[in-house]
Amino acid sequence: MRGRFIDRILMAVCGLSFTLLALALVGLLYILSPGLKTITPSFLFSSIHEGGVLEPIVGTVYLFAGGAAIVAPIGTFTAVYMVEYAPKSLLTRLVDKTINNLAGVPSIIFGLFGFTFFCKFMGLGVSLLSGWLTMACMMLPIMVRSVEEVLRTVPESVREASLSLGATKWQTVRHVILPAVMPGILTGIVLSMARISGETAAILFTACFYTMRGLPRTVLDPVLTLTYYLFIHVVAEPGELDMPSLFGLALTLFMVTVTLCSAAFALRAYFRRRWRI
Amino acid sequence: MKLKSRHTDVFELVFGACALTSVVVLFLIIIFTLKNAVPAFYGRLLTFENLWAAEYNRFGLYTLVASTAMVSVGSLAISTPTGVLSAVFIAKFTSSYLRDVFKTVVEFLGMIPSVIYGFIGYMFLAPTIAKLFGLNFGQNALSASIVLAVMVVPTIVSLSTEVIMSVPREYEEAAMALGARGWQTLLHVTIPTAMAGIVSSVMLAFGRALGETIAVLMVAGCPTRLSGPVWNFLQPVYPMTAAIAMGMGEAEVGGVHYHALFAVAAILLAFVFVVNFAADVLRRRAPRRIVV
Repeated sequence: MRGRFIDRILMAVCGLSFTLLALALVGLLYILSPGLKTITPSFLFSSIHEGGVLEPIVGTVYLFAGGAAIVAPIGTFTAVYMVEYAPKSLLTRLVDKTINNLAGVPSIIFGLFGFTFFCKFMGLGVSLLSGWLTMACMMLPIMVRSVEEVLRTVPESVREASLSLGATKWQTVRHVILPAVMPGILTGIVLSMARISGETAAILFTACFYTMRGLPRTVLDPVLTLTYYLFIHVVAEPGELDMPSLFGLALTLFMVTVTLCSAAFALRAYFRRRWRI
Repeated sequence: MKLKSRHTDVFELVFGACALTSVVVLFLIIIFTLKNAVPAFYGRLLTFENLWAAEYNRFGLYTLVASTAMVSVGSLAISTPTGVLSAVFIAKFTSSYLRDVFKTVVEFLGMIPSVIYGFIGYMFLAPTIAKLFGLNFGQNALSASIVLAVMVVPTIVSLSTEVIMSVPREYEEAAMALGARGWQTLLHVTIPTAMAGIVSSVMLAFGRALGETIAVLMVAGCPTRLSGPVWNFLQPVYPMTAAIAMGMGEAEVGGVHYHALFAVAAILLAFVFVVNFAADVLRRRAPRRIVV
């Protein structure tokens, strides 16, 4: 019976490790939970000058809406090119390698690149627009990969049926492939937005400015996001915000990210089931 | 006979141009980082001393590189055993319904913003560590390693789960048929087959740990020099990413400090590429599920 005993021990050890991870998530929620008391409509919808977080929330939305709008078409077309047009071309192999490398580049490097290229070289300054472009670069791998994944699940017979009806390649892509991969495009957009809503390092010197305390009036104004607002109040100016506001801010940010992630996971589960029945 | 019609070419060109964007972006990132880093290498700004203090124009790489090595190795020492064992648990000891739930739990851990990890580390973990070890400051390499470990463990768990589940069923059945116990099969068949993939996931996590900035900055302490030897995890550290994030705010564009920071970024980028390349090579040697 020694064997069965070791089997049980092994399972217990593995189960324990997983429990540890689950506990980390529970602990995180527990530590953030005091913020619940702070999050009221008046906290969320009043200006930061009156102790609220309206500007950071709107700024975060501005940033991810613009970033997603830039990356969605580029990412989708890249994936369509790789799967539909030239599955074996030199460019496709190159792009495939590039996407892997781009996904591994640390966000602080994207921040530096955004600063030297968009802010200085292109002369956009520390602005919402520079933030959008930097974010779009960061989101490209997520967007391409999620559209690509869905494209590969579209059965070959669907393409063949369309082509056999006399449709051209473009007509097939336009009327058959793109509608079919809509959930993938949506997932990509939502996942990318979830990523940006939590991003700090890359917007530190591209989109946010230390003294900025309002909403951007034009795309060339800097912006204030939830992450940046929390970051400077913990690191640069501890004590300016009281504890309840700080926890409220952290929990608000947490909820924004978790909502976006849940939406993305739900969409992904939906389309993964769709073609496999 | 070629069936390809010629008038679709204009769309192919448009799509191809979009595909080219990512290549251009990566190329520009490398060029612009190097371009700004060259003056630092050229002007012998960087030394290997244990002092990184911009106000005295002293840029010793030892402090930053040793700190980065400490926190990333420390975080892997915690996250590798936990992550791999969790992956075994999810892949082998759960029903398919629970498996999806558990995977999602771990994925959520990976999607939480790093500033929140930093905030919790700063508010809760660092004081706890300080109390536990009787220190004045809890912001040290140990706190940073723990925070980083939680942040990179999802990478290990989700990829390893995938790889362990892709080990061909026949291998395990063959072992079972020879009379091997569950643990013997796991230890001598499943894990060795999946090993390349598991190591690949650890490498990817290593790459993430090297590049993580905000959370590390908030809990590492960021001194100008390391006070003790590298195996002392109770000392504050100043990783490369933290130095870049802290320094860029005050560095004058085109100045000495500015170029030094880009040099650090170039070194970091080189590290990350090497680690990711290794992960990529290993991943191709991992088993893939063959769909019949």
